[in-house]
Amino acid sequence: MRELLVRYWKWGLSILMGIGVLLFWGLGFPHALSYQEQYQLFLWTTDYFWERIGIAGGFADWAGEFITQFYYYPWIGATLLALLYILLQRAVASLLPSSLYLLSFVPIVLLWWHMGNVSVLLSYVIALIMVVGMMRIMGKNGMIIDILAVLIIYWLLGPMVWLYAGLRVVQQGWKRLWLLAWVAIVLLLFAVWVLVQWPMTMVMLSMTYYRVPMEVPVLQWLIPIVIICLAGIGRYCSNKKFGKNVWFGMQTILLIVLGWFAYHKGFDRDVYELIWQDYQIRHEQWDKIVKRADQYVVRTTFWSNSVNLALSQKRLLADRMFDFYQSGDDALIMPRMRDLTSNLPSAEAYYRLGLVNSAQRYMFDIQESILNGKKSGRCTKRIVECMLINGHYKPALKYIDLLKKSLFYRGWAEEAERVVTADSKTREQRINDHPQLGRIRQMRFKDDFLYSHAEKDKIFGLLFMNNHDNKMALDYFIGELLLRGDVQGVMQYMSWAQQYGGYRSMPIGYQDAVQCIQKHGNLPGSMYGSYVKRMTQK
Amino acid sequence: MKRGIRRYGIGILVVYTWLLMACSSQPTDTTKVNQQPPIYPDYINVTIPVDIAPLNFNVIGKGIDRVDVQVKGSKGGEIHTNGEYADFDIDEWHQLTEQNKGGELSITVCVRKEEQWLQYQDFKIYVSPYPLTDWGVTYRRIAPGYEVGGDIGMYQRDIHTFNEYAMLRESALPGRCMNCHTANRTDPQQLTLQIRGEGGGTLVQIDGKQHWIDTKTDTTKAAGSYAYWHPSGNYCAYATNAVHQSFFVGKGQRIEGYHDFSNIVLLDVRNNELILAPELMTESDLEIFPAFSHDGKYLYYSTSKACQVPAEYLKVKCSICRIGFDRERGLFSHEVDTLLNGPQDDRSYTLARPSYDGRWLMYNVSSRSNFPVFQPDADLWLMDLKTGKTRPLTEVNSKDVESYHNWSSDSHWFVFASKRENGMFAQLFFASIDDQGRVSKPFLLPQRNPHKFYREMFDSYNVADFTKTKVDFDARETQRQVFSNQHTPVKIKE
Repeated sequence: MRELLVRYWKWGLSILMGIGVLLFWGLGFPHALSYQEQYQLFLWTTDYFWERIGIAGGFADWAGEFITQFYYYPWIGATLLALLYILLQRAVASLLPSSLYLLSFVPIVLLWWHMGNVSVLLSYVIALIMVVGMMRIMGKNGMIIDILAVLIIYWLLGPMVWLYAGLRVVQQGWKRLWLLAWVAIVLLLFAVWVLVQWPMTMVMLSMTYYRVPMEVPVLQWLIPIVIICLAGIGRYCSNKKFGKNVWFGMQTILLIVLGWFAYHKGFDRDVYELIWQDYQIRHEQWDKIVKRADQYVVRTTFWSNSVNLALSQKRLLADRMFDFYQSGDDALIMPRMRDLTSNLPSAEAYYRLGLVNSAQRYMFDIQESILNGKKSGRCTKRIVECMLINGHYKPALKYIDLLKKSLFYRGWAEEAERVVTADSKTREQRINDHPQLGRIRQMRFKDDFLYSHAEKDKIFGLLFMNNHDNKMALDYFIGELLLRGDVQGVMQYMSWAQQYGGYRSMPIGYQDAVQCIQKHGNLPGSMYGSYVKRMTQK
Repeated sequence: MKRGIRRYGIGILVVYTWLLMACSSQPTDTTKVNQQPPIYPDYINVTIPVDIAPLNFNVIGKGIDRVDVQVKGSKGGEIHTNGEYADFDIDEWHQLTEQNKGGELSITVCVRKEEQWLQYQDFKIYVSPYPLTDWGVTYRRIAPGYEVGGDIGMYQRDIHTFNEYAMLRESALPGRCMNCHTANRTDPQQLTLQIRGEGGGTLVQIDGKQHWIDTKTDTTKAAGSYAYWHPSGNYCAYATNAVHQSFFVGKGQRIEGYHDFSNIVLLDVRNNELILAPELMTESDLEIFPAFSHDGKYLYYSTSKACQVPAEYLKVKCSICRIGFDRERGLFSHEVDTLLNGPQDDRSYTLARPSYDGRWLMYNVSSRSNFPVFQPDADLWLMDLKTGKTRPLTEVNSKDVESYHNWSSDSHWFVFASKRENGMFAQLFFASIDDQGRVSKPFLLPQRNPHKFYREMFDSYNVADFTKTKVDFDARETQRQVFSNQHTPVKIKE
């Protein structure tokens, strides 16, 4: 055993780290993986490949997307991530002597920290691994090889070519310092002649590594710098003898401290809480959302939208709405925001309410808000569902065709295609019989008019009038009146809600609100009263 | 033994020959089909200009794995293609159309379907006597979404080949929106466009040199948007407005676009002075979509009463008016002629586009709105400026939207966007008009593999216009100007 440990301790540590990575993402943060997956749509076509590698860093982007598609099943995604982390760590370790082996985990911890930022794309990790890995095969090649390598690496992997040049300088000594100048010249030439449709900052520093164009996080370049420094230390210290235990102890302490910072600075708890909520909405895990809402609150409209949606799906909104934080009169549905996440719970609520056009609008705009121009499998699927409900089959077929080229949406798309291309009677029957599409078809408006966010209480009320089975619309109607503090409306429609709501008795939440209103807000312990008070103070 | 070999040999030969015939890529033993081929795009009986990009097409139908197409010119010449779809050689096609100018092409389509060759009825493509001398078209490509532009971009396309070039994409200016690029009567030596968002402004590019101007002043409520050059090139008219969208809750029309205010201003590009006319800046009306007459003596525009939109969206009815313009003094007259009265006709008349030869006025007619692109009933109409007679262009209109039309430099061709294919994605169509005002059946912008291209295209074509020559556009300079956010303010002409 001891012999095995002595012989394989390095691999053992690497595998241990891999297991840690697997458990972290697979068990602790599957929602983070799902989040990444939903903002891309990898297509299994040669056209897609050529389109991707049509820009600098395109191969890294393509490979990153290829792996990210497997995040659809987070455990597969976590396993692939673990392998990537091991690859990077082993590649960095190859630049270091055995005595400094633990230092090879430093870039890993920093990468973990960096990947806490939800806009970091996997293409960055791919580029990092491939460039560091190349050092093992480059050896003492001549100038020509390096000159060509810079061109090829830049086009395939993007600005990580700087790391290549830095590592080559460390590997080959100062005589290769010209390589950095060559990289600068190549990038400038590309910027002037080829990549004119990209800002200079992106051409030089990021391209496909980060979802937000023109932003370059510090860690994005700190990690390569640390790797270059480690390579330098490795080269300088390759013949030096160290007191093994002291060095190992120091390295271990460094890693622990760094790890603590990585977790606490890299992973914003509130951000990940909202991403977790969205993940549960995507998988319709309403009980989990309600249960967790009792334990942790993120005082944002997104959080309120998510919890209210979950409550409505369990028909608990009337009873418990004001047991939870309510952000204001947008707590049920948020107005349109120009980003890729904020409107997701609202879009899901619209869809379930039967406001199909609004759901489609939000999903479309969410997709178009993905700042690196990628499509979203999740959004596209929902857009198709909206089109099927509304009978817009021709454009639906275009999007179905797109989904058919993906791996994990293909089955669904093929089924949808069979429905759409069936004869009209069969098609309508199959959509009407579908448990979700058919139900929403029944719920949507029969008359057409313009939506008004400012008057969404009326919209919800009309939606319920349109179909009395649409209890969610009724809950949202009364909920909206309560959120707005529309005393007259609440008192006017409360009996109506009781009559049509299908409740055995008046919901506790409504009782509380009515009593609070009757007592002009002076009802100690009233949940609604505390909401009104908070809003008034605002 | 020998007999056996011979017998097997003959058998193998028979099977081989049968297989060869069955799988032949050339039509053999064709069966005539008494109908025209189900081709995409619908190029049957369209009229094309000489030298247009080949009208490649696909034959749509299950089980079709080979297409064989023979094209014969009425004035001679013949070309042939055989493959998965009709993919003509560009040079051969150009030569054939040149040879048959003013004549017609007869297209014979055979398809191999389930190992059987079928021959459809021949159809015609007419080659117009009017050449289309412009280099290509410019357009904006935008996802047909709602309020977020996404990966928007301005492109130019060589209409004689299949080559498309990006002029300016959103990737160059992340987070910004670009719109309404307008050249002077198809000449890109003078063009203008607007960038919205941080550092945005109005670009006036003359002879390749970019000038960035801030057209928003205390007097004008917004920066310039819809633009039109005066033929002299000294002036450019802009609508200054705010565009909004509202959204329907039902299953039909998705979006209602509208402007809640709009005026028209004139920029003297020689000294960056804004010329304001009270007739074009009324509080009670919205003046929009300016367009100068061919001689520059009149400015056409649409106007509608200011309604409380979105509540009164059904009441928005535009008229088309014109106002005189004195080019020398840079002054508008005070008399406004109403050419088409929207409220009176219970219609909305928008996007007046006079032909550059002064003969025609093409415009949009819809039941309401000052933003026709979202109106499914929006159609193109034509006014004969000699007689004042108007008519709907039934030759080109469809059940869905037709809009954003523009003339070729010789005014014998026009391009327009139509959502006829699926009601959502606008595509570009071209049609010709002769001296008597007869309009040909339009044809869809050719692509190398059109079915694949349009099926995989998730953008709408928007604000298309012809361009005489390829546009020389420096995207890097545009970035520099937008990121620096230092634009020249305009002065109001006293």
